[in-house]
Amino acid sequence: MINRGYCINYLLALMVILTLNFMLPRLMPGDPLQAIYGDEAMIAMTPELKEELISRYSLDLTQAGQFRAYIGSLLRGDLGYSYYYNVPVAAVLLGSFPWTALLVGLALCISTGLGLFLGIESGYRRGRTVDRLLLGGFMWISGLPDFFVGMLLLLIFGVTLGLVPLAGAVTPYTGQGWAPALIDGLRHLALPLASLVLARLTATYLLARNTMITTMGEPFIMTARSKGCSGPAVRYRHAGRNSLLPVVTAAGLQLSHLITGALFVEIVFSYPGMGALMYNALLTRDYPLLQGILLLSAVTVLTVNLLVDLLYKRIDPRVAYAH
Amino acid sequence: MHINYWGEIKRDSLGRAGMGTLVVLALLAIGAPIVSQYQPAEYTGAIFQPPSSQYWLGTNDVGQDIWAQLLYGARTSLLIGSGAALLSTFFSVLAGGMAAVLGGFGDRVLMRAVDALIAVPPVIVAILAAAYFRPGASMLIILLSAFLWPGGARLIRSQALSVKERMHIAAARTFGSSWPYLIRRHIIPDLGPVLTAILVLNFRRAVFMEAGLSFLGVADPTVISWGKMMQQALKFSYLEVWKWWLLPAGAALSMTIAALTFTGFALEKAINPRLKK
Repeated sequence: MINRGYCINYLLALMVILTLNFMLPRLMPGDPLQAIYGDEAMIAMTPELKEELISRYSLDLTQAGQFRAYIGSLLRGDLGYSYYYNVPVAAVLLGSFPWTALLVGLALCISTGLGLFLGIESGYRRGRTVDRLLLGGFMWISGLPDFFVGMLLLLIFGVTLGLVPLAGAVTPYTGQGWAPALIDGLRHLALPLASLVLARLTATYLLARNTMITTMGEPFIMTARSKGCSGPAVRYRHAGRNSLLPVVTAAGLQLSHLITGALFVEIVFSYPGMGALMYNALLTRDYPLLQGILLLSAVTVLTVNLLVDLLYKRIDPRVAYAH
Repeated sequence: MHINYWGEIKRDSLGRAGMGTLVVLALLAIGAPIVSQYQPAEYTGAIFQPPSSQYWLGTNDVGQDIWAQLLYGARTSLLIGSGAALLSTFFSVLAGGMAAVLGGFGDRVLMRAVDALIAVPPVIVAILAAAYFRPGASMLIILLSAFLWPGGARLIRSQALSVKERMHIAAARTFGSSWPYLIRRHIIPDLGPVLTAILVLNFRRAVFMEAGLSFLGVADPTVISWGKMMQQALKFSYLEVWKWWLLPAGAALSMTIAALTFTGFALEKAINPRLKK
């Protein structure tokens, strides 16, 4: 009953995205097939292939029929056919989604954990040197777009210092045991992960710090202190807990930034996730693949946000009462 | 709530720094033909030149002067940023104000639509739309505004609802003023602080999205932009050129975004005195 409002919002959002996906190629001047596959592909296409594609995309039906066919094929897991890779889009996505999920998942955990920790410590020491340094530093970092952070890290640690590999996720043809392979993977992961974490840390940090400062003024903190609670206990068990709530909500909202950020950062590091795939799809004008990537990213964002909305009520029962 | 914006920004050191940077950037962008002796698309005669007195930031892979490109890139960023900020805030006012004034069923329908649109990840959808349209400057402003307005609409609605109930509005209504008059003369000036905050926020997001889209190469390729400079420069990361090609473009973009963030913080402090302590 309570959840219905949330679910309707997300369903509507999904419909908006699906409709855009459906409408955009059909809004373009000329043949939708041309918009989907690009001019170059149209020249190379044989009439038989064209016929087959027209019936495949149901382009011979009315607009409403086409939309029904489009939704129907999506429900069957058919995202279209990648012209460049010559395999179904879903198969291409399956190969690169895990890399992005790994990157984004780790970045989300690390930036939330680290941001919470730094924010609580900084808010507790408000106005002292550590707090001032952290606050000032993060304010500057927050101005850097994530792909520029990535480039800076790449140029400093990869190009100038030569500490980490410049591109990719694994070194090919090493054929070693799992331990060197894991280290190799981590070395490739380090910079993309660091740039995502750096770019997203500020928001979590500021939020945790602000909540901490408000909470530190509350009477129950004085009670805790007068009971003789130790510093860490006051910081984490009494005050810090209150920062958890906004930070968890923000983590969900940040996921949409993280996913888009990952798309850009992957391009900088040629990390074989969906971002690098998207860049390639843009270069080769592989529109079915592009649509598939963006649809999958958007659906992931929507699902996670919905989950956060639901989780939020578990963490803060007041929200459930408020509805 | 009537606020002396300029005074508030001047009092805050971060706000001063942000506003100052923006003014300098705007002056450089306007005076681009005076400050640089080259046109950004002009072939100057030598490729990959290091910085010198003739080419302040050297030249790129096709022999264009990087300093000139940087200046004209500022024009693109500021123009698209401010254009999208104004247009999206206008949309927000339209939707949020209408929801507040209509109330009841109209309010619910509008806010439901806004909630759904807020959930749509803007950058992802903007990439998709831009990939098809390959938008030029004005098209890009419209495209960005289309995805930026919903957040502001919600804020404006809630503020307008509280403003609507204030005493002087009720007084004006008893004198028989119409809703259009009320909105123009009372509600919008009262919403001033919120509107300014939304403007600055959207400005920042638009600059960021423009850079991102041109970095991906989905914007009009003839428009000179910092994002595009970074994309091109990244291809030559094995050469020394990134020091005067990639870094200045990225630094300029970061400075613009930081300046907008600081200005926004200063304004927010003025609106929300609790943050001042």
